[in-house]
Parts: sequence; structure tokens; C-alpha cells
Amino acid sequence: MKTQIELNVPVIRLLIAKDWKLFEKQLAAYVAAGIVALVLLGMAKKWTFYLGSLMLIVVLVAAACFAISSSLINERKQQTLAFVMSLPVSPLDFFLAKLLGNLATFGVPYLFLTLGTVAVILTTPIPDGLLVLSLLVLGHILLAYCISLSIAMAVESEGWNVFTMIGSMVLINPLIAAVNQMPSVANSLQGDIVVWSAWTVAILFAQVTLSLAVLVVTGWVHCRKKAFY
Amino acid sequence: MTNAFRLTNVSKRYEHFAMEKINLCLPEGEIMGLIGVNGAGKSTLLRILAGLSLADSGEVQVLGLQLPADQVEIKRQIGLASEDMRLYGSQTLRWHMDFMAKVYGSWDEAYATKLLRRFDLNENQPVASFSHGQRVKGLLLLNFARRPRLLLLDEPTTGLDPVARAEVLDALSDVLLDGARSVLFSSHNAHDIERLADTITFIHGGRLIANLDTESYLSAWRRVLGHGTLADEVTDWPEVAQVRRSGATTEITFKSYGIALNERLAAQGFEIDAIYPMSLEEIFITTIRGAAQQ
Repeated sequence: MKTQIELNVPVIRLLIAKDWKLFEKQLAAYVAAGIVALVLLGMAKKWTFYLGSLMLIVVLVAAACFAISSSLINERKQQTLAFVMSLPVSPLDFFLAKLLGNLATFGVPYLFLTLGTVAVILTTPIPDGLLVLSLLVLGHILLAYCISLSIAMAVESEGWNVFTMIGSMVLINPLIAAVNQMPSVANSLQGDIVVWSAWTVAILFAQVTLSLAVLVVTGWVHCRKKAFY
Repeated sequence: MTNAFRLTNVSKRYEHFAMEKINLCLPEGEIMGLIGVNGAGKSTLLRILAGLSLADSGEVQVLGLQLPADQVEIKRQIGLASEDMRLYGSQTLRWHMDFMAKVYGSWDEAYATKLLRRFDLNENQPVASFSHGQRVKGLLLLNFARRPRLLLLDEPTTGLDPVARAEVLDALSDVLLDGARSVLFSSHNAHDIERLADTITFIHGGRLIANLDTESYLSAWRRVLGHGTLADEVTDWPEVAQVRRSGATTEITFKSYGIALNERLAAQGFEIDAIYPMSLEEIFITTIRGAAQQ
């Protein structure tokens, strides 16, 4: 009797490389747009700051939606899923390949632009106090991405996928409004000191933990599916 | 003799369709045709065998291995080409060939090159610009060149124009002669199956209706035309599949015709005018009608 944790690592690696190869040009374009946004942010003028921050959020949201749509929703819609699942892979192999492939295709631009945002805030005349709010917004985008990825893997309805992607991403505005109500954030926003309160740390921790939990639950659900085409 | 696959009491239920307790096996090295109308359960059966869909109950054995436990090893040794399977449109056939070569150690590049010529395909053309026929041939090439022990072909000729269909069938029949492959080939077109299959299985409404070798079907079935009296009880004879009357002429379709039946008909007062062999398509239609009436 074979166990469920035997993995076909060479094929998983090939599937990740395939997704990367299929989407690398578009993701490079997102990174380029993100760099433009960071440059605008770094210019530290009022209008460039608003334009740059808006553009950065739009680029990250678009990159997240693109990664999920291209690698999962379109795979089902364009009927390439049956081709992939006919390869020597188990549902767990497929889940890991898609998860790691997505972590590469979205994670690389996300990490690059997150580090870029931190660097821009800390090294330009922009107030360093913005770092907490920025990281919470980026944490929300990560969580929204993981939830959307999870729905895309678990639910075959395109309508639910689009609803989740848009729904989770539009919550960015209420999040910014809510976080701005916190005294520790509101008071330090214009200053040059980074203030982490217990609440802001808890929110960031919850965002990261929930992101991981959502992915684990998705893997569990996916391995119990009965059809893969 | 070992089996390419064996299904034992396999059931699968969807909201509006149920496949109940299917028992079927294919000896290794044989070609089986699976004929059924749209929605009969052909694709469901092939997807279960390919590990793309899990049976609700029953046992599925492929090349001596168990599904789903051994699905990775099984998928390594089988090839699946289905009508609703697509390749990556933005990539060329060459890209797909290189990808398959990395996945399957059994990939035969020399054979792939030969098939490229045989199928008249341009390996550097993006798949999105392929015609439907070229796409089907591309998919077959990707399957054949890795030399699987069992090929599962789900309606590969569906949607093709007559020329492309003939090309695909010619190529298929050439390629199938190449080696001792086991093949399960589904279609709703009996002509396609008749050309290639050793044995034929009829499927309807999720049930297997018949499973015989091609020659047995063709030699057993006959259409008898005649006139005269014929008792209603003839429709209950086990050899009779169908009786139809049109004016003075009566047509009796036999599913297991034998010369002795002529005497039994004559004893009824029925005079035979002509006896015709039947094509597989006619046999299929009569069988499905009979199954639908039951």
C-alpha cells in the first residue's frame, strides 16, 4: 500500500518551470510597472506619492489576479487541465506544483516590490512611519491572494473565483481606513519613527498565519477531490 | 494473458447521470472500440481509466496496477488523448515535445520526428494556429512518441471534417500497426471503430450493452426482408433484435442469425425475399434502440 506523501518531484519541478516559462514575460511587465510605481513613491512629492502608491497597489492586485487566472482558472477554461493531470502526477503533486508555481510567479514580483517598498520608505524623504501601514496593506494583498488561490483550486465556478478576487482585493480601502483609526498608526504616519503596536503586530501576524492556513486547508481539500479535468 | 485494464463493478454517479456496476476488461495488445451516443458514458469510462476521475465504487486495475493508489505509475505507462483536451495555445508543438521528453523517459525523439512528417505538422507553429485536425494529430503525436503500453483515445475524430478524419484514421491505423499496443478508442461513429478495433463494446445510458469481437458482430447480425404471415411471438425469439413492418414487406433484424431460422420462418408462412449483412453502424443503432426500449 502506497502512502499519499510519495511525490513525483521531477515532474513537480517541470510543472513549476512550465508555469514560470508561460507567464514570465507578463510578470516581468508587472515588475517593471511596479518599479515605476516605486520610483514615483521615492520622489516624495505629494502627487507622485499618491500616484505611486495607487499604482503599486494596482500592480500587485493585477499580478495576483493574473497569476491565479493564468495558471488555474484558464487552465480549466482552456481545457489544458486534463493535459496536465494526464501526466504522471497525483492530486498532491499537482497541488504542490500549482502552489509553488504560483508562489514563484506571484511571490517573486510580490517579494521584490515589498522589499522595494520597504527600501523606498526607509531611504527616501517619505516618512518612515508609513512602513507599518504599507506592510499591513501588503499583508492584506498576500492574504487576499491566498484566499483567491484557494478558491480557484477548490471551486470550479469562474463566477465565484472572480467574486473572491475582486471582493478580497476591494477590502484594501476599508483596511486602510480602519488601520488609520489606530492611534499608534495615525500618530506616527507623518513621523520618522516606525511604531509597531501590539495590534498592528497582531494584524500582520494574523495575515501571514491565515495565508498559510488557507493554503494548507486547500491542499487537504484538493487531495480529496474526485475529478481532475 | 495479462489485461491492459480490468474494471470490476465500477460505478460513478453525477447529478444527472449514473454509470452502474461496469465490468469490462481488455487483454493486453488488443484494440477495443467503445461506441455510444453522446452522453452514454464513454468519456466517464476513459477518465476513470486515465485517473482523471475517481470511481465511486468498484475496482479499477490498469496494467496490473490499482487506481487510484498507483496512479502516478499508471499515468507513466498510459497515453490519453481526448476530444476536450487542449495543449498550450501560446506555445509551439516543439515546446510540447520537449516538455514531454523531459517528463517521460520513454520519449522516442526519432519516432516523434517520423510522426511529424507522417502527420504533416510544423513543429515550430504555435498550437493556437493549428486547425482542429492538426491539433488532434499533435496530441496523438505527443502520446504515440512516448510509446505508452495502453492508449486511451476519447473521440479523437469528433469534429473533424471528412478529409482530416480520414487522415487521422489512416495515421492511426498505420501507427497502431507499429507495435503491440493496447488501445481503447471511443467514438459515436461506428465506421471509425470498425476499421481499427478487434473488439467492440456498446455503451448506453451508463450501461454496457454488448461486448464482442468485431467479426462476431458482423457474422451474427442479418437483416431479413420478406412477406407473408408472421406470428407476433417472433419478436420474442432470442435471436430477433427487431421486427418492422412496412406495407406487405416485413423486415426482421437478427442478432444471432443461423440458416435454421429460415426454416422456422417458412414454417410460420413467411417467405424470405432477401438476406443482407449489416454494417456495424446499423448493428449499433438497432442495439441502442433495443436497449432504450427496455
